[in-house]
Amino acid sequence: MENSSKEKKVHGTQSLGSYILNHKVTLLIVVTIVVIVFFRLMNPNYLGWQNVLILLTITSFVGLLGLGVGLLLISGQIDLSTGAIAVMAAVLVAMLISSGIPWPIAALITILFGAAAGGITAILVNGLGMMSFIATIGMMSVWGGLALVLTRGNPVTINNPGFWAIADIRFFQSIPLLFIIMLFFVALYGFILSQTRFGRSVYIVGGNPTAARLAGINPKKIQSILFINSGAISAFCGVLFASNFRRGDPVAITLGMDAVTAAVLGGISFSGGAGGTGGFLVGLLLLNFFNNGLMMIGIGPYWQTIARGAILIAALMLDFFRERQRAKALRAGAAEIAAAKSQ
Amino acid sequence: MPNYVEFNKISKGFPGVQALDDVSFRVQGGRICALMGENGAGKSTMLKILSGDYQADEGTIIIDGMPASYHSPHGALKASISVIYQERQLVPGLSVMENIFIEDLPKKGIRIDKAALRKMTQHILDEFELDVNPSEPVGRLSVAHQQMIEIMKAYRRDSEIIAFDEPTAPLSESEINTLFKVIRRLKEAGKVIIYVSHRMSEIFQISDDIVVLKDGKLVCELNADETTEQELITAMVGRDIGDTYAELCRNENIGEVMLEVRNLETDDVHDINLEVRAGEIVGFAGLIGAGRTELARAIFAADPISSGEIFLNGQKVNFKSPKDAIAAGMALCPEDRKEQGLVLDRTINNNITSAVLEKVKTGLFLDKKKERKLSHAAVEKYSIKTPSIEKKVVELSGGNQQKVILGRWTSEAMVTKVLILDEPTKGIDVGAKAEIYQAICDFAKAGLAVIFISSELTEVINLADRIIVMAQGRITGSLSRQEATEEKVLKLAMHH
Repeated sequence: MENSSKEKKVHGTQSLGSYILNHKVTLLIVVTIVVIVFFRLMNPNYLGWQNVLILLTITSFVGLLGLGVGLLLISGQIDLSTGAIAVMAAVLVAMLISSGIPWPIAALITILFGAAAGGITAILVNGLGMMSFIATIGMMSVWGGLALVLTRGNPVTINNPGFWAIADIRFFQSIPLLFIIMLFFVALYGFILSQTRFGRSVYIVGGNPTAARLAGINPKKIQSILFINSGAISAFCGVLFASNFRRGDPVAITLGMDAVTAAVLGGISFSGGAGGTGGFLVGLLLLNFFNNGLMMIGIGPYWQTIARGAILIAALMLDFFRERQRAKALRAGAAEIAAAKSQ
Repeated sequence: MPNYVEFNKISKGFPGVQALDDVSFRVQGGRICALMGENGAGKSTMLKILSGDYQADEGTIIIDGMPASYHSPHGALKASISVIYQERQLVPGLSVMENIFIEDLPKKGIRIDKAALRKMTQHILDEFELDVNPSEPVGRLSVAHQQMIEIMKAYRRDSEIIAFDEPTAPLSESEINTLFKVIRRLKEAGKVIIYVSHRMSEIFQISDDIVVLKDGKLVCELNADETTEQELITAMVGRDIGDTYAELCRNENIGEVMLEVRNLETDDVHDINLEVRAGEIVGFAGLIGAGRTELARAIFAADPISSGEIFLNGQKVNFKSPKDAIAAGMALCPEDRKEQGLVLDRTINNNITSAVLEKVKTGLFLDKKKERKLSHAAVEKYSIKTPSIEKKVVELSGGNQQKVILGRWTSEAMVTKVLILDEPTKGIDVGAKAEIYQAICDFAKAGLAVIFISSELTEVINLADRIIVMAQGRITGSLSRQEATEEKVLKLAMHH
């Protein structure tokens, strides 16, 4: 796991604030535990196996989407269309299965669709030079809308026990296979980021695309691969989603936004080049334990929407403060200080 | 009108370092005081305390006998103090006139009085002999013109105390002359002027007094007329570095042609023909905007070529991207190391191996041991001052950052044959410069063909085996080290 925030810094004020910012992951773990304890005290059923099953299932979906977005954020781009691609994929896989295509083939086609959807975004961003923020808002609308058009707004039910079975497999009563799959991808992506040439390139591109290009790394290629990856893993998430609910539901869900929140909360910087999957996993768990807790203590869905927005803004503020501190350190002539120190 | 500004026992510490330690000196109105010192000496910190950006831990700034009491950049402006930094603070989308008068645009009712604004702006532009349209958006101007606008911004405030932080870095010779005229006029008006620059010749041209800082302490105050360049360098470095160039251990064996460029054309450079031999250092001189950087980028395939041929080791090459160029043995240390060369937020290790990731992997994975070995070798070879290769590059001094880039291109995992260095000593202190000169000579000894771009004439003339001079995108002449003099090179550089 790449975790630059844990490094001790020689510059900057060593106040409590900076300590917290430099030990963000530790802080997140503490907050997560506090959140869990709090909701457990408020509602004893919070950690009951039935609720944990629901919680881990949703976490798996948010996690898969968040990995796609997270890698893009590290490379300096963003994808807001992951939730919509997942919805479209759920509808697509349901329709394909309903038309008699064996489910493994239907799933494969759907994942290929997702990759193609990511490819389109890549062309818009890296080919035509659009801002990914805007381009993926557009694509979000396109895929969400297409799902509604294809189904006329009605869910497509799936009658295929073999397909249902994927989401039904669970360990120790409450740990779904979906969660294990998600953890597998967290580990896989974490490994790629820290151990491979590609992963290192992602950080270099996100940190300084100009310098990356002059060092022989192609930023557009790296980012395009990540857009395609994000589309494919979102579609994969949609397939699992359809398996879990036994239908393809075209009504847009907020998973895409939660995915971005989880990534930023977990220390993946909005300005690129920083963060890792370890922090991401903690951010993801915190977010979902919190969202679920609100539901378990009887907070209505409308208020939950507000809480979602508030958490996203809180996460962005944390990111903003850390960036500002970094910029301050730069301005303070960190180089000058180091030079004076070494002489 | 203040007669003087006095820095009285100023101290400022940052965690782990004392940036300024009990520094006292006085700058008299109507005289130009140059603040000199290597990087890390504390010049920038001093300017930032003057501008209200930083607060001194101890000591006071005394203006005309009265302790100054401002605590912010805004307060400093009110106290009639203007500091002009290297980083331009212009709004690219706004016009020249709006930028110059950004703090108090003249108004007619609630509307901006454009006619008055234009008139006031034109007046300043005339004083600076700058031929630009006041309505032109600043973003469309050249870097040099933007710098002049930044200076005008401070100038028109009519501050009594004005500090310049390396104002000439992006300027060409004629613009520098105009700027100096303006500064001298300010001096005659009795203003207090503090001038920071790394360019020796400028210091003696413009300044009356010289204050030398080292490691946050005051070394001495000199009178510019009674001081030689060598004495000043000795004071800055704290030791006699002797004649840097004479001490260099140079390469004697120049080999076959390694790089050949024929009839190269791009949007910025025209009709370029040149050869660089193995073991040869070819210096590129010229004014800012002469096309040297653009030529380097075109050869390195960072910018597209319209026509022309490039041969490497006798083989015609056709690079599509820097990646191809690197694979064939080309390396470029770009002009702006922070913006284009380094990923500041990553470690030394990451930055050194970023161009050779292909070579440090076993199977699918990065071989971290091998990576560390390469980085340790570079740190040792260039004596990069750092406690660890896991330190972030942002925490290094300019000279050490430059060495990290050199380390990247000359690690044993590279096959570098042609090394292009674009302003490798820009913003680097005297001591580190000497080390980089020797490193360049060592590259030549190792048989590399070296292209050395620099705007410091003395440096190019003394280091390069051959000097190619460019002007307005074309090569205007080529001189050997023996025949090159500053006068000859300048004449070719200003060739039209």
